Order: sequence, then structure tokens, then C-alpha cells
Amino acid sequence: MIGNLRLGLASRAGYFAGLVSRTFGRGRGETIHGRVLLKVYPSALEKLAVGRDIVLVSGTNGKTTTTSHLTKILALGTDELVSTSTFGANMHSGIATALATKPRNRYVVLECDELYLPFMYQALKPKVIVLLNLSRDQLHRTGEVRKVANLWHQTFTKDDVTLVIDRDDPFLEFAVANAGHVLRVTFGGRKHPDAATCPACSALLDWSAGDYRCECGLGNELPQVRADQRLRGPGRNSVLAIEAARLMGAVVPVDLQEELTLNAPDRVSDFHVAGRYIPTRLAKNPESWRESLGQLSARQIILSVNAKGIDSLDTSWLWDVDYRSLESTQVICTGDRRLDVAYRLSVAGIDVSVAESFSKAVEMFTSEPIEAIASYTAFQDLAANALGLSKAVTGGQQ
Amino acid sequence: MSKLQIVRLYHDLLGTYGDQGNAEVLIHRSKARGFEVELHEVAPGESIPDSADIYLLGGGEDGPQSIALEMLLVDGGLNRAVAKGASLLAVCAGFQLIGTALPNSAGQDVKGLEIVDVTTIYTEQERCVGELVIAGELDSDGNQSILTGFENHQGRTKLGKGVSPLGIVLRGFGNGMANDSGQIDEGVQMGNVFGTYMHGPVLARNPTLADQILTSSLGALATYDDEFAQALALERRATLWPNN
Repeated sequence: MIGNLRLGLASRAGYFAGLVSRTFGRGRGETIHGRVLLKVYPSALEKLAVGRDIVLVSGTNGKTTTTSHLTKILALGTDELVSTSTFGANMHSGIATALATKPRNRYVVLECDELYLPFMYQALKPKVIVLLNLSRDQLHRTGEVRKVANLWHQTFTKDDVTLVIDRDDPFLEFAVANAGHVLRVTFGGRKHPDAATCPACSALLDWSAGDYRCECGLGNELPQVRADQRLRGPGRNSVLAIEAARLMGAVVPVDLQEELTLNAPDRVSDFHVAGRYIPTRLAKNPESWRESLGQLSARQIILSVNAKGIDSLDTSWLWDVDYRSLESTQVICTGDRRLDVAYRLSVAGIDVSVAESFSKAVEMFTSEPIEAIASYTAFQDLAANALGLSKAVTGGQQ
Repeated sequence: MSKLQIVRLYHDLLGTYGDQGNAEVLIHRSKARGFEVELHEVAPGESIPDSADIYLLGGGEDGPQSIALEMLLVDGGLNRAVAKGASLLAVCAGFQLIGTALPNSAGQDVKGLEIVDVTTIYTEQERCVGELVIAGELDSDGNQSILTGFENHQGRTKLGKGVSPLGIVLRGFGNGMANDSGQIDEGVQMGNVFGTYMHGPVLARNPTLADQILTSSLGALATYDDEFAQALALERRATLWPNN
């Protein structure tokens, strides 16, 4: 069993790309399958969940990758078959599809949209819910980060589920303040860019010690797990996934934990465009852009930004990101909102130009390596093109 | 020549939507004209200088907005600066703060900074979210300026008698209430004070508004053609208001 787990990790190369292409190769039809299923049988979600051991994964960033990683850890750590979500399909129809696929599998790991989590918690009665993080994203849809935290706070008031959280995020600590069972993981604290004030009492949070403190007592609960402070987003999510898998009964030896965490899958895919392979990161909000910019090593960068469908429709957040790491690079912006990005970068003094399409951007560079960051629909378009699908196939809400 | 002094207020509380972009655009456009600029960040709890040239208030969530209001009222520096003629750009939650009354995070009406005669009320109506296009004032050639931005707010704002809006809504919600002429106002403009629901980096998409604010402090400015700024403003306008 453990050997299999090691083997699984060894094949990490192309992990995310494989996930994307598998999904786009068959995925859209499956979501439609879920939609039809719910139309014909409205209580399908509740019925398909009966008797199964379900984990939900939610949060702003890393849901898709963590869901997939947790599925793998759970399958190999329990020797059972595990059903799971298709890439990013995290609302009613996508979740119905995942439950209906191999309905006799005991374990199910489901990615869940933040706003749908209260409903799915009631309908599916999961054993464990993993809450990864909460930060600014799609504010046109969610309103405010605090509104999502409040919604969760009002939802989790019982002891029928165990919530696994990164307690360094004050929004998550507030979200679970009334919950019966919480497994808190700390990474030693880190400043949250959106949490100047307390989600519980609205007072100014004290961040002077690198972690938050508030007179109302938020954050005073001791964590059960203390993990490595140096871990970036994917590594942190991996620790939460391992703890969730253990709660579900998986055996994850301590000596394997480091390997699982250091090799946490990241959301990067190699796309073959205009004759070149371009490692491309999916990033869609300030936090994931910060994370992605920090990982770039090439000096030739393509940034592709749209603001449609499941992207953030508002590009204001582009001004919240620090672009200093691009200072000695050459950047070409593309996507529908390339001018928003290009102007932002030009004000920051970055060498920037624009191209009408991703492939034209690639052609403007005369050498390699080239790396890219793409917003959600821009990334979907690249994935669809890689499979020879038309953009229309992937354009809408999943 | 003395330096242009810009004050950005409480960015941690009022910076939800990339509001820092407005300071960066003002700095960029004034440096391009040869001016020296100094940016003062005022964090929550710090005292607000009252002798700077331009003040920036951004957008924020309801709770942080209420805290910012309390601190601004106690400090009094912003009101003194505006009374002395400083320019002010107040965006979204910041726009609501500079009025006479607004709802606090519990939904109760509270007194605002009373810099302009506008009143914001809480309603159960739909949230105002989306692209916003407004017709501003006529320029010296008689051309109507068209401004664009993104809005995301719950409150509706009514202008007092004789108070001028920043523009009239062509698309979107703006202040969200019809005026006596049946049109819907957007924002406020009174002397050097500018308020708007076009949130976040509104000056990035509207270089003419950026220059209007700079002119209010620096006087007439040399022409500055910033390729990307112009292209962005035109692209947004052509996409959102294609018939003009």
C-alpha cells in the first residue's frame, strides 16, 4: 500500500496537466450528466450520499489540486476506491456527477464552492470538511470575504462533522468558532492581507507578533498540529489533506508526510503553443498571483487575463499584487483584459508589451524558456486548445 | 518647487479593491510632468497630517468602514485639510464616509464626516455590482467626457440640494437613486472633492479624472500621452459604451 503511495508520487510529473486534460477530454459531458440527473431526480445528491464517507474541500485557493491530492492519499492510504470531483466542477451538477460515478465507492472527496458549502454540508452529511483559506476572490459574486466567513460561521454549529482548518487564517478561525469538532493546523502564523480587522468583533487585529491576536479571544484555541512555517500554499494544503485523510482512516506514515508535503502538486501545466512548451500557472486572485509570481524562474513571461464567466469580472485586484519580481523580465500581456495588466505593469516600471493572442505572445519571444500565468478562463482556453476543442466548450460556468 | 504631497488613508481598512492604484497613477502622471511627489501612508491609529495636497480614501467592507469612520472623526485631520483647500478622492466606502450620514455595519444610520452634503441609506434592494459608465462634464472643446469603472456596493446615495454629481449614469447603478430630473447621479464633485462608486483603481481607467485631480492641486498640466493608459481608457469605453 505504502509502496503504491510512493509510486503515485513518483508519477507526479504532468500531474496537473493530466488532471486538466482528462477533465476536458470528457468533463463537460459529465457536468451535463449531473444537471440532467438533478432535473429528473431532485434529491439525487442526498440519496447518492447515503452510506458513504464524504470529505468536502473548500476555500479560496487550491481546492481543485487539494481535492485531487487528497483523493490520491486516501485511496492509497486505505486501499479503497475513492470517487472524486472532475476538475473544478464544484457546484450542484458537478457534485452530483461525482457522486453518481461509481456510486458503490465508499469514499468520496468533493471540491465545493464556498457559497455552496452550507447546502452541501446539510445535503451530503460529510464526515470531514477541509477549509483551506479565505481571501479576496470573485468579489462581484461573493460580496466580501467577511460575508463568506459569516456564512460559514452560521453554518457550522454542530458536532456532526470534523472541520480541518489552517488556523493561521483568522477568517477560518471565525468560521469554525461555534463548531463542535475542529482540527486546527498552524504553520506558525503569517499576516493575512485582507484581515486588518477581526472577523468576529471588528476590532483592529494585533499582528505585531506575526500572528493575529484580538481582545475578543479569536485565535486563542490551541492548534493540534504544528507544521513547517516555510511551506507555501500547496505544501500547506497538503498538510491539511494528510490530516483529513487520517481522520477518514487512511494510514499515512510520518516518514512519508514530508515527501507528500514537499512534492505537493502545484497548479502548473505544460501547454504546447506555437511550437513551444510553456509551463503555465492557473491564478485568479491576488493571493494566487502572489504565489505564482514567486514561483516563476524564466525571464520571459506571458500574463493572460480575462474577466468573464468564472473569472473575477472586476480587474481592480491587479493593483493589489506586488510585481517587483518581474523587474528584470520581459512581459507580454494577452487575454481580453491585457491592457488592464499592461498599464498596471507599466506604472510599476516593468518592461511590458501586449499581444492579441497567447500564440502571438509566444511568437514574439525569440528564445526559451517562457513561463505563463493565466486567469481561469484563459487557462481553460489553453487546455481546450491543447485538446483541439473549441473555446465555446469550456466558456461557461461549471 | 515643493513636492506634491499625497496622503493615502488607512489602506489596511479601505483598500479592498486595489485602491492603492489611485496613488500609483497620480504619482506616475505627476512625475511624468516633472513634479516631485511624496506619498504618506497613514495607518489606522496614526495621526492624519492636514497640510498635504491630495488625500485618498478607498473602499472597504462594512466593518472596517465603521472603524475608519470613528478614527477619521476623532482625528479630524482630513476635515481640516479639505477645509484648507486640499483635494480629496473618495471611492466607494470612502465616498459614503465623506457624506452627512451613512449606515454602519449594523445597518443603523450614523453621522458621516460631513464634507459633502450627500446621504447614504441601506436598502434591501439588489446589490449594485458590475461595470459602470457615466457621462461627466463637457470639456473645453464641448466634448462630453465618458468615465468607466466597476462598482460593488449595497448602499444608495442621495445628493443634497444644489450638490453636483461627478456624472450621470449611462450604464450601471451609480448612486442608485433618480434625481429631480429623473436621471441617476453618480458620485459627487464639489470643488476639489471627488466622490465616486467607480471603485478601486478608478484613475487607472480614467486618466482625464486623474489629471483633473492633479490640476486641482498643481494647476494647468502639460499634455502627457501615456500609451497604455489611453489605450485602456478607450478600450473600456468602446467595449462598455460602444455607440459613442
